[in-house]
Amino acid sequence: MLSTESVGRVGELRLEYAKRDHQTVITRSYCTTPWHLLPPIYLDETGSAYTLLVNPSGGLVGGDGLSIDMNLDRDAHVLISSPSANRVYRSEGKLSEQIITLTVGPGAILEWLPEHTIPFAGSRFRQSIHATLASGATIVLWDALASGRMARDERWAFTDLENEIHITTASGEALVERYALEPASDLGCVGLVEEWDYVASFYIVNDAVSPEIWAELESKCAAMLENLPGQVLGGVSTPPVPGLAIKLLARTAPDLTHMLDLLWAKVREALWNLPPVSLRKY
Amino acid sequence: MNTPALLEGLRFVDTFFPSGGYAFSSGLEAAVQGGAVKNSDQFARYIEDLLRGGMSRREVLATKIANAAGAEGVNSAALEVDRRLDATKLSRESRMASRQMGRQVIRVAADQIKAKPVLSVYREEVESDRAPGHLAVTFGLTLGACGWSPEETAAAFLYQTAVGFVSAAMRLSPIGQHEGQRILGEWLPLIERISREVTSDTVMSSWSPIQDIYAMRHGSLEWRLFRS
Repeated sequence: MLSTESVGRVGELRLEYAKRDHQTVITRSYCTTPWHLLPPIYLDETGSAYTLLVNPSGGLVGGDGLSIDMNLDRDAHVLISSPSANRVYRSEGKLSEQIITLTVGPGAILEWLPEHTIPFAGSRFRQSIHATLASGATIVLWDALASGRMARDERWAFTDLENEIHITTASGEALVERYALEPASDLGCVGLVEEWDYVASFYIVNDAVSPEIWAELESKCAAMLENLPGQVLGGVSTPPVPGLAIKLLARTAPDLTHMLDLLWAKVREALWNLPPVSLRKY
Repeated sequence: MNTPALLEGLRFVDTFFPSGGYAFSSGLEAAVQGGAVKNSDQFARYIEDLLRGGMSRREVLATKIANAAGAEGVNSAALEVDRRLDATKLSRESRMASRQMGRQVIRVAADQIKAKPVLSVYREEVESDRAPGHLAVTFGLTLGACGWSPEETAAAFLYQTAVGFVSAAMRLSPIGQHEGQRILGEWLPLIERISREVTSDTVMSSWSPIQDIYAMRHGSLEWRLFRS
């Protein structure tokens, strides 16, 4: 049981999805404040369940500990995003923490595309995203970080920030990205990236896709990354698991979003011959 | 460190060692072609940023853990950190370069330092693909077996890496030998600091998005002098 001081600060969101007939549905759910669960939206004929991660509190303050535990059953198809950026407020003491655990069953598809995180000046944030894929499962995972509230001249002014993405395939192979920033320190400083305002990672992993398809998609993404020279700097390569790893730097949020839309459309076309979808955020 | 230990390990640090390192630039070539590195000051900042943010808590950490494994003659910790390191190497060319150079080190070390069975056991792990064999790990393991301390080994690894970048820069841009030595000298305090401050209980992490991106872009260059 939660203590009263934890109410609204320790929020859990647990979702289980399964494919029923031609549609993916939520079979079990549990959430505590500040998470708010909306029913999934069906944007196209694929039956994929589009779910928004809604945190009406507006962001995380020091001491907040949010978790998301998501499980996709065999052949389920889920698309995740959030209605707005994930704001992390200034903290004089405790960390704000978000722990995400994703389990993707055989043949299931998880497209994880939340809005970026904005760490305010003086904020302390720790996030971990651990995804475990069954054989034939796919994850398309986007994670982006802003330098801060640029309109207030807050750039790379947070106190510390740790982020870990860990994707494990059915064979036990793993892709890991982990950084720990503490701008005021020597080894944890932001360095040359201070010239940019957005840093993003885009991972696409599936152990059943042929190397030829990955190679073709890599080539298309590499060409795409040349579309906004000077505004976006990006690279694509094959990570130590079957799939692609893309790293991006951008100067503005519209450029970042535009590049994500282009890359995501290519991924959907190459892997499933599906057109892009509009996420209908207003 | 005693003199025999110094000499035994020194040849693995020397650029004369046949690791094939001269063929790799770890994305520097793409950065030069992309305009991110146009002069010696930009080059110095670019590599300093990589040593500090990208390699200190990753390769240097791996080197120190492997060093202790080599000194103790038990390779399980080296194997574990080798796999962890491999999982973080997201650029294919950089990953394969590190593995290729690492394999050369462990082959020569296992062949020639017979009194340290930990090296031949690890070579077998690498040859049978049970271990990736990254350079930071095999280098650390070897110098640990030679009697070098973790801090000395980390400093040697960073120094060798820095020399490799200066050598590559001299072939890619108008940086002369004297300029290269000046830059190398300016990096020494940072190398010393990293070697001392990163301890084996540090959590592995890496932050060098710009250098990572140029490493990824290297494969798409129209003309290339280097393999990474």
